[in-house]
Amino acid sequence: MKNKDIKISIRNLYKIFGSDPKRALQYVKDGMGKIELLEEHKHVLGLKDINVEVPTGKTTVIMGLSGSGKSTLIRHLNRLIEPTAGEVEVAGDNILEYNEKDLRDLRQNKMSMVFQKFALLPHRTVLQNAGLAPSIEGQSERNYSEEARKWLDRVGLQGQADQYPHQLSGGMQQRVGIARALTSNSDIMLMDEAFSALDPLIRTDMQDLLNELQAELQKTIVFITHDLDEALKLADHLVILNDGSVIQQGEPQHILLNPADPYIEDFVSDINRARVLRVRSVMTSLPETQLERSGEIDHEDTLESVIALSEGDTALSYHVMKDGKPVGVLDMRKLVRALVPSEQSKEPESALFGG
Amino acid sequence: MATYDFIFNRLGLRNWCGESGDTGDGMTSMAQLLAETSGDDVEMSAWETPFPSMDALHEACPSFPQSRELTSGLESGFLAIKDTLKVVVDPLTQPLSWALNEALWVMQTVPWFIMIPLLMLVSWVVSRQMKLVALVAICFGFLGFVDYYIYTMQTLAIIFVCALSCVVFGVPIGIAMSRSDRVQRTMIPILDMLQTLPPFVYLIPLIFLFSVTEPKLYGIAIILYAIVPVVRLTDLGIRLVDKDVIEAADAFGMSKRQKLFNVQIPLALPNIMAGVNQTIMMSLAMVVIASLVSAPGLGVLVLRGIRSLELGVGLLSGLGIVLLAIILDRVTKAALARINVSQSN
Ligand SMILES: Nc1ncnc2c1ncn2[C@@H]1O[C@H](COP(=O)(O)OP(=O)(O)O)[C@@H](O)[C@H]1O
Ligand SMILES: [Mg+2]
Repeated sequence: MKNKDIKISIRNLYKIFGSDPKRALQYVKDGMGKIELLEEHKHVLGLKDINVEVPTGKTTVIMGLSGSGKSTLIRHLNRLIEPTAGEVEVAGDNILEYNEKDLRDLRQNKMSMVFQKFALLPHRTVLQNAGLAPSIEGQSERNYSEEARKWLDRVGLQGQADQYPHQLSGGMQQRVGIARALTSNSDIMLMDEAFSALDPLIRTDMQDLLNELQAELQKTIVFITHDLDEALKLADHLVILNDGSVIQQGEPQHILLNPADPYIEDFVSDINRARVLRVRSVMTSLPETQLERSGEIDHEDTLESVIALSEGDTALSYHVMKDGKPVGVLDMRKLVRALVPSEQSKEPESALFGG
Repeated sequence: MATYDFIFNRLGLRNWCGESGDTGDGMTSMAQLLAETSGDDVEMSAWETPFPSMDALHEACPSFPQSRELTSGLESGFLAIKDTLKVVVDPLTQPLSWALNEALWVMQTVPWFIMIPLLMLVSWVVSRQMKLVALVAICFGFLGFVDYYIYTMQTLAIIFVCALSCVVFGVPIGIAMSRSDRVQRTMIPILDMLQTLPPFVYLIPLIFLFSVTEPKLYGIAIILYAIVPVVRLTDLGIRLVDKDVIEAADAFGMSKRQKLFNVQIPLALPNIMAGVNQTIMMSLAMVVIASLVSAPGLGVLVLRGIRSLELGVGLLSGLGIVLLAIILDRVTKAALARINVSQSN
């Protein structure tokens, strides 16, 4: 029996673009790099030995710079792209063995997708777009309209059902995209840079909306982004991709505090750590020294809010509470140290150059 | 002595050629006739070396065919397969004759006081523009007033049937081209040929194949000439459909068929309609030429103008064709604009 908490597992996945990927695969397995493969054999190494487990009911964010293979990876989950080697298992089923009918069923009922450029059908109304999944299954507009309207209302598009997509702003179009994914009632939502094309303020709104929906619905979301702030805001599980390989994955706070390699250190160095880090990630768990504390804070509070509470006094320390019970203590000095990226706190000189 | 004797000598084909020199086996080439009038076997300078054409080679070797034999060979070859070809093509194209006859009959039988309002109604439904409806009324009113009503209706009937056939055949061909690069590669030269071949050229074999009194003769000529744009633009339109939208259709589990009918064709519709517009205009252009092979309508009047130098008839019927062109163009363009508005992004 497979682990119930894992919805999708990707094992030893390789993808090589070119005329003879099988042959090129051998070179890659023998250790050839992306640049060499392109120059000597004219094949593009898209993904290399990917192993990722996507937890059920959580948001997994795949982050990487442009060209790192994020879109390629997410398209393997519903087989919009066929792998060169490896396995993809969804809810215990190896989807690479699916025939065309199984695959359509997977796409219609178990997985939905939200796209960077919205990809709505321009000749259909907002309602018809939201009802795409049921309409593909052959339901009439009358049948699906109630469900579709419910989700359109839920994403904040009350009264827009009869508009056409081109009459809406980008942010509203993407809300239709999300409603379309929700109307399909699938457990898994794939989101490829879903908010990257939106203005910053609207993007923040959409992130909040997604977090709200997720708290309510507990879908298994695979979200792709190139923006670390967005990743940290949404992720329960963070996967960092570079040049087609996973270079670190885990709990986001953990990655932030313990970056595995210089590439990630670089990445995390310009983040506003006070806003992102939570008390639980930097506290000392229960030393039970009954010292006098200046107050109680919740384990999910951000460091920023604790700094505000302490009014900048580094001499203080707090009890950390979880569900009303003390789980640890937080010393303000430790908090301040956590605000500086680890590399820089070890070697103070490099901070001069680090900007 | 002919210039190219040496070729046949060198290749050891002299025996195959038979007697060297002019043994005149029936057909005489133009060059030979000229040579005879100007005196035999004048020594030629290098400047005057003839191109190694069939006739020049024939001069050196009587067994080598003359170009005239090529053309007559083509002709007798065509005549030889004509009957079998007719057995196949005749029944296949018979519906076209029926359709043309029916359409002509309907358009001429329905009285003008029903027909003109009907046409106005159609243009309203398609374009939703009062201006165009008025234009239609004025044009048909004018053409009826100068006693060209029947001719106009005949032309309209022919265009209706031919353009419709172009769409019925052209759109599926275009779809097939858009789905397979191989089909596209084979179709493009054929389309290029149809588009550039002077229409008179394919009228000739058609005349051999069918009798001049059959409507399908001009029907086929018009369709072959006018089908090209709708095929090309259907192919282009489907290939231009936004890749992201296609991907979304795939991601939500559409079958190929659903994708074609619910996404690709609707999104390609502006281009397909642009093709239909072109097709209609080209069939109108062809109607005049088709009158040479008994197509009725305004083209007959144009021909009368040319044949018996009736300047007035020629000009007026020419104007009639222009008016018809304007109406058809405006109405289809208005339909196109309506499609564009409903799906611009
Ligand atoms: N169809 C393809 N053919 C060849 N190379 C491709 C193809 N699709 C993607 N690639 C290459 O794979 C790499 C990863 O692309 P992609 O997954 O789109 O990156 P991302 O979404 O992270 O920006 C890039 O180097 C890209 O050029
Ligand atoms: Mg991408």
